[in-house]
Amino acid sequence: MPLLDVGAVVALGFQYFTIIYLTAIGGLFSERSGIVNIGLEGLMVVGTVMGAWGSINWGPVAGLLIGAAAGMLFSLVHAVATVTFRVDHIVSGVVINVVALGLARFLSQLFFGSASQSDSGIPHFDKIDIPLLESIPFGLGRAFQNLSPITVVAFLLAIPVLFVLSRSRFGLRLRSAGENPEATRTLGVRVAPLRYAGVAISGTLAGFAGAFLAIEVNELYQEGQTQGLGFIALASLILGNWSPLRVMLGAMLFGLATGIPLRVDIPGIPEQFVRMIPYIVTIVAIAGFVGRVQPPAAAGKAYEGAGGT
Amino acid sequence: MATATAAAPVKPRPPWLDAAVGQGLALLGAFLFAGIVGAIIIMLYGERPLFVYRVIWEFSTARASDFAKVLELATPLIFSGLAVAVAFKAGMFNIGVEGQYIVGMATATVAATFFELPAVIHLPLVVLFAMAGSMVWAGVPAVLKVKTGAHEVVTTIMMNGIAVSLVAWALLNPLRTTETGLVDLRSDRFPDSARMPFLAPTFGLEEQIPRSVNLTWLFPVALLACFAVWFLLYRTRLGYEVRAVGSSPGSAEAGGISTGAVQIKIFLISGALAGFVGLNHVLADAGFLGVNYERELGFTGIAVAFLGRNHPVGVPLAAIMLGLLFRGEDGIAIATDLPREIVIILEGLLILSVVVAYELVRRWLVRRQQRTVRAEEGADSAAA
Repeated sequence: MPLLDVGAVVALGFQYFTIIYLTAIGGLFSERSGIVNIGLEGLMVVGTVMGAWGSINWGPVAGLLIGAAAGMLFSLVHAVATVTFRVDHIVSGVVINVVALGLARFLSQLFFGSASQSDSGIPHFDKIDIPLLESIPFGLGRAFQNLSPITVVAFLLAIPVLFVLSRSRFGLRLRSAGENPEATRTLGVRVAPLRYAGVAISGTLAGFAGAFLAIEVNELYQEGQTQGLGFIALASLILGNWSPLRVMLGAMLFGLATGIPLRVDIPGIPEQFVRMIPYIVTIVAIAGFVGRVQPPAAAGKAYEGAGGT
Repeated sequence: MATATAAAPVKPRPPWLDAAVGQGLALLGAFLFAGIVGAIIIMLYGERPLFVYRVIWEFSTARASDFAKVLELATPLIFSGLAVAVAFKAGMFNIGVEGQYIVGMATATVAATFFELPAVIHLPLVVLFAMAGSMVWAGVPAVLKVKTGAHEVVTTIMMNGIAVSLVAWALLNPLRTTETGLVDLRSDRFPDSARMPFLAPTFGLEEQIPRSVNLTWLFPVALLACFAVWFLLYRTRLGYEVRAVGSSPGSAEAGGISTGAVQIKIFLISGALAGFVGLNHVLADAGFLGVNYERELGFTGIAVAFLGRNHPVGVPLAAIMLGLLFRGEDGIAIATDLPREIVIILEGLLILSVVVAYELVRRWLVRRQQRTVRAEEGADSAAA
């Protein structure tokens, strides 16, 4: 048994990549529309508990959809607070995260009879193997077998996201609302609906990612299972300079950094220190890159003009 | 001029009165809204909302020992609420109180178990160790923010994750007790010289308040901390700079204030306050550091700070208010068929509505002020 089973590590990294990337893409839509969303973690938490419940009752497809729908509904709280009532975006996001913790405990008690977890082994998708790639040498081929189909979907999602954001009329308007809402308004486009849409997309994807984590990765709901992944998604957004393809690379880095500690056993280094790796990587990446990136110009600022519309 | 003001649309009223009325209305509105939505949820469960609210109230106030329990629950929340609030006054978000007090509990354990000293020296030393540990943990994100611009919301959350693993390792290795035959992992028991004295014996209330209620001298210390924070924010130069940086960093910098230095200082103070958060648990309740060191007091502190308007008077009131709710949980579990987690839902509803209500009132006050100013300008030009 080698020190490092590269294939297994990369495979696990892919799973966390999926979670981080989906959530980050959601955050991308929200922030490009001008609404900073640090509630991603909380939206994801709601996705885990609702997704697990959905999957137990009606199977994994329903579970993922219910998780996504729940994330979207909960994100509307953030949209109402920030767009309509113009509450500070960070304050509202922090509240979303705090409230999500309580909501998840309440729902878990309701659904599973325990405030902290469900039974394990909830229904999930059959794993798939990707043809041709299994022959990649150095054990890396194993990374492309036994994958959740959702992981493949996440990879392919980059293409439509890129198209919607940079080529579609909706994407153009969304970005203009995040860069210069005044100009958007002057051109006769209402800013508020765009920002609602941006936040709702972030809620949908974060909820979906949470449901994926519960159903496909852990096969149970457990309190605290998101372990800061929503914030790591936020970090990959910063690292990726709010551009879809670079965010994908950032999510890949953080996905591997999160997956590695769970599979690697380095003699002489206590496992608790290995567990710190994703957090340290995130801090270093943020501290090293943040000065060189450019967030959307109007992100985080309330739009006061024309009654906020 | 006196004749011209009669034509002004807004009667001149002292601004503090407007602010007081506005905030009172905001609180009232938020409580009503949260109470009504909460009542709907309770009714969906087939319970009577007013009965449930009365159970919460009576379980936390009926006897002296019940209210003492409320104050015990409020003690750490005052500290964590203050820690969040002082950072917020400088426009910073300390989401890392959770990790900071966990590290503080571990450094307090080092001081409590490694030294043998008389209580007058030992106990303060334990507290200082806790503060120092938490300050180091708060200092890292503060310095990173100022030096590199890394947003403290992301870095403090990551520091929380690192703290949990670090203390897990410490508990398995240097802090682990040498006692054998234990089921649970824990540190050595703390000597009496490192334990927090209880309030009840001092005031001859041992009959009314049993030993099981861990209401200690940390509660008056918490109130003292509120006063100290008030003094710092509103009566010192640093406090003035903190508020200037918080309300407008650009103008503060232009006014000759070093924004970065102020941010680092206030984050260290926030960390020092966070150091107290875990102390009632390790120094009074448990008397050792055990595996249950993640107590989510940091996240509840955010709720306390927002409920208390980030003000040193509002924070203790909000902490006691949440103490009432958490104590009421036991009542709900005993007297009703509701899950006890309903209390967390009530708490969440309350924070959401308070945040929105305060924002509405803030905008109302700004508009009112603008109208008053316009009216005065109109009056001036009419008189001229």
